[in-house]
Amino acid sequence: MKVNSILKSENGDIFETVKSFFTKLFEEGVIDYLLVPQRISEGKTLTQTLIKGVDYLDGVNPFSPVMAINSAKLASQVGIAETDKKVGVVLKPCEIRALIELVKLNQAKLDNLVIIGIDCAGTFEIEQWAKLVEESGDAIAKETEVLKDIYAGKTDYAEEDAPIRLRSACQICDRFTHDKADITLSILGMEDDVLVKLEDELAAKLGLEAAEAPSSHKDVLEDMKNARTYKRESAFDEFRDKMQSMNDMADILATCTRCYACQTACPICYCRVCFFRTETFSPEPARILRWADKEGALRMPTEILLYHLTRLNHVAASCVGCGMCESSCARGIPLSILFQSVGNEVQKKLEYIPGMNIDEELPVATFKQEETI
Amino acid sequence: MSNQIDKDNFEPKIVAFLCHWCSYKAADLAGTSRLAYPTNVRTIRTMCSGSVDPVYIIKALLDGADGVLVGGCVLGDCHYQSGNYKARRKMIILHAQLRALGIDEDRVWLRWISASDGVMFRDVIFEMVEALKAKGPNPMKNPWDIWKSAKGGWKPKTINSPRGE
Ligand code: SF4
Ligand code: SF4
Ligand code: FES
Repeated sequence: MKVNSILKSENGDIFETVKSFFTKLFEEGVIDYLLVPQRISEGKTLTQTLIKGVDYLDGVNPFSPVMAINSAKLASQVGIAETDKKVGVVLKPCEIRALIELVKLNQAKLDNLVIIGIDCAGTFEIEQWAKLVEESGDAIAKETEVLKDIYAGKTDYAEEDAPIRLRSACQICDRFTHDKADITLSILGMEDDVLVKLEDELAAKLGLEAAEAPSSHKDVLEDMKNARTYKRESAFDEFRDKMQSMNDMADILATCTRCYACQTACPICYCRVCFFRTETFSPEPARILRWADKEGALRMPTEILLYHLTRLNHVAASCVGCGMCESSCARGIPLSILFQSVGNEVQKKLEYIPGMNIDEELPVATFKQEETI
Repeated sequence: MSNQIDKDNFEPKIVAFLCHWCSYKAADLAGTSRLAYPTNVRTIRTMCSGSVDPVYIIKALLDGADGVLVGGCVLGDCHYQSGNYKARRKMIILHAQLRALGIDEDRVWLRWISASDGVMFRDVIFEMVEALKAKGPNPMKNPWDIWKSAKGGWKPKTINSPRGE
């Protein structure tokens, strides 16, 4: 049975609190390695690091305000069945969902992983974050300040005129908790403390006492959920109104160069070698000239529409809404709302929520006797 | 160009992906039984309806087809047990996707036509030609027109993407 426990912070320093929690996990042998966001570049940004013990815990922050990669991809690199080495992986809910989808795709194993999930208030674009903390002059103080704000449920960071705004995917994310983690850390509505949710046996092993989550935590959770769901639905409505024909799709993709950054960033784009990166899509010049003959005017590089329509088709059922596609696009194409809107329609139709239930089969790997198109 | 064609003289092009074991045989049977059907259809034989990845359907639509037909065995009769059930799943996803994008999904049909049913094959082609004539030419088939007439009204900046700001 899962229980809650509260880790009290001395001097309001949540970073020290989580650090000593991770220390305990190492010391009690719960984990042998830890994959966790850690500050680099004097705190101007954070990156995932894989560390082997308590000596390397300086500057870790599981509530990282930036997300360089969907770490499900990293977790899949360290998950193996044949080992007794346990790897703790600190993951945001969209990363846990992606990891579960990867397990279903036979591209990840959970056997030796201890999933340390967090309740997530959202993340910022890396470049904007770096600029903000650079200008502040004190990176860690700024990080602390912003995190306290967003985890207290302040909505300012979703407003047009905010100095920095949450990534567009985070703004409309209403699945910012995940109950399938082995351990969950939360600072949502927790003031300076950290709420931890874990199996009672593990709590006993770590010497943690069961406690009730404070009402402020539940309030922030609920308010955030409502606000986000509303924003999400409105974003989908707005998108639906705008999409009237193929031209609207072309509008969105007008500046795409088929650089494949979005595909590389997407945790769900599962093919080892993408069809679009094969010879088929680097045809010999004579063929391209023939196409131009046929069309009169040929959009170059070619096949942008085919690429995105196909990618949309292949990921729609499993898109976890992490928005890494959009964050990776040098052109700033609004891929998050595009992919999530299509994902939303497809998932509703299939009655499938990706990354929730590991025992539920992938929609494309199964079928029902009776179903309508 | 295509938008100037008047609807009465418009002859839709249909690309039909037909499974080797049933629908393709039905098309063959329609031929050998001398059942007359419109010449608007180009058939492509596949081993199973389940093997038709939507990429081929989308490619056909972007490259000039006005409609795409995927034909498979009657449910329960797929040579590979469940290929046609999976084809149906793929079609569910494709249709929902096209709907979400404001693209007409009714240009893509899925039909179960058994090997002995040349008559049904003929009827489906007649029916599809009629339906596509009513719709007119597929707006997806002139790629350059699509790009050019993109309204430019929805630039990355205007969607609430912090990237564009
Ligand atoms: S990252 Fe952007 S430019 Fe590159 S292929 Fe994706 S949408 Fe196109
Ligand atoms: S399509 Fe975009 S939002 Fe969806 S899982 Fe892939 S990267 Fe994340
Ligand atoms: S063989 Fe005909 S549908 Fe599978």
